[in-house]
Amino acid sequence: MGSERKPVIYAKGLYKIYRVGETQVRALNGVDLSIYPGEFCAIVGTSGSGKSTLLNMLAGLEKPTKGEIAIGRCRLDQMNENQLVRFRREAVGFIFQSFNLIPSMNALENVALPLSFRGVPKKIRLARAARLLKTVGLAEHLFHKPSQMSGGQQQRVGVARALVVDPAIIFADEPTGNLDSATSAEVMELMQKVVREQKKTLVMVTHDNHLAGFADRIFHIIDGKIVKIEEKKNEEKEG
Amino acid sequence: MRFWDLIRMSLSNLWRRKLRTFLTILGVMIGTASIVVMVSLGLALDKATMETMESSGGLTTIQVYENGMVMDMSSDSQEETSQEQKRITDDTIEELGKIPHVTLVSPVLNLQILGKQGRYIGNLDVYGMSREALENMKLEFASGGIPKEEDGLSFIYGNQVLMNFYNESSGEGFWDTENPPEVDLNKPIYYIFDQESYWGSQMTAQESGLEGQEAEPVKPPKKYILPTAGVLAGDMDTYTEQSYGVYCDVEDLKTQLKKVFKNKAMPGQPVTNSGKPYKEIYYNQAYVKIDHMDHAESVQNEIRNLGYTPNWNAEWVKTQQKQYQTIQLVLGGIGAVSLFVAAIGIANTMMMSIYERTKEIGILKVLGCSLSNIRSMFLAEASAIGLCGGIAGLALSGVISWTLNRFGAALGGSITGMTQAQISYIPVWLAGLALVFAVLVGMAAGFFPALRAMRLSPLAAIRSE
Repeated sequence: MGSERKPVIYAKGLYKIYRVGETQVRALNGVDLSIYPGEFCAIVGTSGSGKSTLLNMLAGLEKPTKGEIAIGRCRLDQMNENQLVRFRREAVGFIFQSFNLIPSMNALENVALPLSFRGVPKKIRLARAARLLKTVGLAEHLFHKPSQMSGGQQQRVGVARALVVDPAIIFADEPTGNLDSATSAEVMELMQKVVREQKKTLVMVTHDNHLAGFADRIFHIIDGKIVKIEEKKNEEKEG
Repeated sequence: MRFWDLIRMSLSNLWRRKLRTFLTILGVMIGTASIVVMVSLGLALDKATMETMESSGGLTTIQVYENGMVMDMSSDSQEETSQEQKRITDDTIEELGKIPHVTLVSPVLNLQILGKQGRYIGNLDVYGMSREALENMKLEFASGGIPKEEDGLSFIYGNQVLMNFYNESSGEGFWDTENPPEVDLNKPIYYIFDQESYWGSQMTAQESGLEGQEAEPVKPPKKYILPTAGVLAGDMDTYTEQSYGVYCDVEDLKTQLKKVFKNKAMPGQPVTNSGKPYKEIYYNQAYVKIDHMDHAESVQNEIRNLGYTPNWNAEWVKTQQKQYQTIQLVLGGIGAVSLFVAAIGIANTMMMSIYERTKEIGILKVLGCSLSNIRSMFLAEASAIGLCGGIAGLALSGVISWTLNRFGAALGGSITGMTQAQISYIPVWLAGLALVFAVLVGMAAGFFPALRAMRLSPLAAIRSE
């Protein structure tokens, strides 16, 4: 069924080679990958397996040493830095492990920030940010600074910020890495819900197999190679 | 990103680091103030000189002579150079008036006459000029004023004219006795226009006393009594351009001369080859007033093209101005050093803030803030520091300037050797320039930090914890 749809993310023969002293470290060693619209994918691997590098590359934060990456029709590997920035601004939302909120801004301003880079007028972007914060259940905390919120709340702000630009794809790098298991589950459910409701594509990196279980498809990566692709829907059907 | 969003973000970043921003601004403030105050000292010096010159009218007046004529006005030494010598006539005056930037032209008819009152006799240097020019010279009168038209020929005396008088029998004058001669300029003075025959008659009187009837007796010339129109302000020590001269209306003077000399050659006037006087009375020079000293050069060229020799008294003012410019440069340079130090302060502050905000900058980049926006943001921060410092510096220099002018005048006088009303002068252009300069310095200092921020890897945001 995958071959009939057009992939939103397509990667072929991705290599990333770092030079450490005399030795070469292959962070990515020939990765091929297709992700389709509306999918919730997880990339699972141990620390140092190259999963974060893969995510950074798919998000246009890092360039591959070799290989092709296409998001929709855009070839990320051929873009310059300015084009990459625009690509991130227009098409991508990010959720970080350490939340990465701006400490001097309150929740509302943090969520509205990416819109300001697009030149959206203040009134409109604040209204939109407020709506999204309500969606993620933070209606009470619009004017709280990150330091006044719990980790779970902060990550909800992070999710809202990723959604505010209405991106086609959301990337999440260990989104629950700094949260306890109960809040982790909450955040994961939130993300799952958002993806289903708003038909976004979500690519998440994690080392936790349990959390990966929320995803539709799971890529297992070891030593810079994808070794296994699990399709949860199929499993469910089988089971 | 919208302009105001960008500015708001920059300002809020500055506001987050209040103390550091304040200290940096303080540096720029001191730098700007030191430049402005230093330059203002030089400007005040310049202004004082210019005002002195301006008030004497020297900056915008040009004397026009006949070609080949020497500058000193002792008319006897004047020689005929060629037949087509261009004389200064009424036509010349009209011609000169047509030169652009010339606002006023007056003929100047200069001659020496003798004045006698009681025991005293004096050589008077009489300048006949147009009434308009006399009014234009901004003469300050102790008594009287510009000659009235209906009065006929009447004289304005310079305040040091008395120095020209001496006791005819003893030969002692002001320079010998150091007392002004007892001559009252407001009382009748006898004038002798024909000096030659006066001295001639004196000589013959003496000679005849000694050696009998050898020389032909010369008839002493007629003496005239002429009214005084005014005396210029000032005592024996105040020198102005006019203080030794006697001034009168040129037309009245011409009428008088024609009456006195009739068909004889007038002293100081050219004669034909046969020694006969011309019909017309020629002027010695023309007095040309221009609208601004910047045009002096071009007007002088025009005058040369017409075939006359211009002389601009204020040539030295230009040299002086150049000198003052050097002083200003040196003073400004001293001030610039402290602004330079302040600029290093700005660069340092910006650098520090970039190190601190590495993560934040990375987040902005990951979220899609364009590179040029990041650069502009940091440049805006740096120039805001420059602007605030500039404004504060201007305020400070205003205070310093006021204090200097209020309390430091005596001090300034002892340093420069001049008594000036103002020792610090901040014109609007200087204030504006200082502000622009402060902002530019801020931007320059912020340029490399901004570039650095722009080039920071967005990955730093995700990596650094």
